[in-house]
Amino acid sequence: MMTYRLIYYSANRLSGDAEMLVSQIDAILASSRRNNRVGNITGALMFSQGYFGQVLEGPQSAIEATFERIQRDRRHGDVELLDFSPTSSRHFDRWSMAFVGERTPAVADFARFASKTGFDDSALSGHRILEKLLERVAVPDAF
Amino acid sequence: MDVTVLRDPRPFALLSGVQPTSVACLHFDKKGRLTVFNSPAEAFFGISVTRNISVMDLMGAAETAGTLCIGDGQRIAALIAKHSSRFFFETRDGRYIMCNKFTGDEGLTADFIDVSEALAIGKSLQRDDLTGVSSRQELIRALTQRMKAETPDQAAVLYIDLDRFKMVNDTLGHPVGDNLLKLVTQRVAAEIDSRDMLARVGGDEFAVLQFAGAQPEAAARLAGKIVEMVSRTYLIGGQVIQIGCSIGISLVRPDTRSADDLIRNADIALLKAKTDGRGVVRHFTDAMHQELAKKRGLEIDLRRALALQEFALVYQPQFKIDGQKLTGFEALLRWHNEERGFVSPGEFIPLAEEMGLIGPLGEWVIRSACREAAAWSEPLTIAVNLSPLQFRSGNLVNVVVSALANASLEPNRLELEITEGALLENTDAVIQTLQQLKSIGVKISMDDFGTGYSSLGYLQRFPFDKIKIDQSFVRELATSSQSQAIVAAVIELGRGLGMVTIAEGVETTAQLEALASIGCNQVQGFLTGRPTPHEDVIALIKTAFPKGEPA
Repeated sequence: MMTYRLIYYSANRLSGDAEMLVSQIDAILASSRRNNRVGNITGALMFSQGYFGQVLEGPQSAIEATFERIQRDRRHGDVELLDFSPTSSRHFDRWSMAFVGERTPAVADFARFASKTGFDDSALSGHRILEKLLERVAVPDAF
Repeated sequence: MDVTVLRDPRPFALLSGVQPTSVACLHFDKKGRLTVFNSPAEAFFGISVTRNISVMDLMGAAETAGTLCIGDGQRIAALIAKHSSRFFFETRDGRYIMCNKFTGDEGLTADFIDVSEALAIGKSLQRDDLTGVSSRQELIRALTQRMKAETPDQAAVLYIDLDRFKMVNDTLGHPVGDNLLKLVTQRVAAEIDSRDMLARVGGDEFAVLQFAGAQPEAAARLAGKIVEMVSRTYLIGGQVIQIGCSIGISLVRPDTRSADDLIRNADIALLKAKTDGRGVVRHFTDAMHQELAKKRGLEIDLRRALALQEFALVYQPQFKIDGQKLTGFEALLRWHNEERGFVSPGEFIPLAEEMGLIGPLGEWVIRSACREAAAWSEPLTIAVNLSPLQFRSGNLVNVVVSALANASLEPNRLELEITEGALLENTDAVIQTLQQLKSIGVKISMDDFGTGYSSLGYLQRFPFDKIKIDQSFVRELATSSQSQAIVAAVIELGRGLGMVTIAEGVETTAQLEALASIGCNQVQGFLTGRPTPHEDVIALIKTAFPKGEPA
């Protein structure tokens, strides 16, 4: 089956102090990594106070099932699908779900355009999320 | 790979009276790791099973593989871990599964048996085949039972109708549409309480019977959540799909008599929600019911009006400004009902369109106008309004040709007025119809120009004979320089394109003079003549054209 890449960003509705956020993010990452391993999905998750950005790569049906699970999650909303298309190669083939956290410059950058002050062209945003995530995960000790 | 058949499943199947089509057996050790499983297990869960996988991971994999509905994997894993010895669930493709669990010193064994066929007969009456949720009948049964209780507690019916579902079904095909309905069902099911009931009550209609929570807040809150969840993007078969939903809510009240009443009220509220826009939630009110009852009454009378000959045409004269010469009349439809008196066309024409009565009614107007105009002593023009819907029937040209022939009216005396609305959909087909009409000699006017889209493209695509300037501009002509500029521009446009311009709604001499000064060709309005019955038209023409003076 053809490999697809999906990129979205969404408004996160997590609440609580820093410690609670960390544990909630950990839980999200743990379940996503578990599900992704069996579904042959790779990707990266970006988190900031206001937004999630995520890239998923894998077989079409697994991507669709995973996105459906993501859509039913009340911990975020206003999901903006930026890209869903066949791809010839995986960018995150080494990560079942890489994570780029709050304090990295990539996220600060992302939050700036995700708030739609700068860019609102979705293709451009999708491309930029991918680029920024790649920049970070290319360095293994980035997280 | 270790594949071990745990034991013959048949005795167990006989015990439960079910002939199994497949039985998957899994054995987990005390740590919850898979130790043995049989060969049907892989086919059953649609995954390649490996030893040592946890219950949770195995069910998660089955979810990702699309065997289990999203969210069910976790639920099933929890049920296996708990002390329930038997439970049932449904797979995503609609198989009904019975799980029997045996706990021993070595861990636990779970058998999964497909009991779909055995349950099919009983199920089909209570359940919707496609989505597996309750059927309409089951919803009514549950609601009736609840209302029989001596003190029926708070409950609400939420009627959900999908927006844009038909378009998805038509453009992407029924299999995609069916999958979409399943996903919608699952999303809604995930939002409701375990005490609530979800039913599919029509093609793209669902209903939730809500028992949990304090009303009316609980219903409003749930409706908001459902609208949000259903409106989130779907991915099906590589396609990105976006739909929405509208919801009507009705609450059980002390005076609610039956389940049918409650459902009908929710349906009325839904209707209101849909007319108010998309993604809208409306609570049923008595006013809605009265409004609807009033509309139904009007519908009944309107349906009979044609047969009872309650319709009549009145004629408003049109004059050439230069020389103040009578050029023709516009036929206007009037409905006089014995009990209602005169009903405004603004009220009954949209209703006739909605009811599909505009075809026969419009045909009656064309035939009557042609017949009456043919009796005039002068060959004046007769303008008739067309509804955009009359273009959809495909027989408009035939009707016009036949009306002209029956009345022996010269085609160039008939002017058909269309609004821009007629050109919005199926533009090419409508223009083709207009061209056919024009080719037989009938004149075509653009009505209400300036009020709608005012697309100049339409004027370019079809050579209209006449442009009618809307009365809203004429009304402000003497006072507003903006209106003056617009009217002047339209008149100039008409002159450039070789189209006659006529201003409607002319009520004062100041307006008439302003129109004359900027070169408008024709006028109609209260100033120059009110709509009059046909008998008076004959007299009017005689006065305007004393014997021997041709038109």
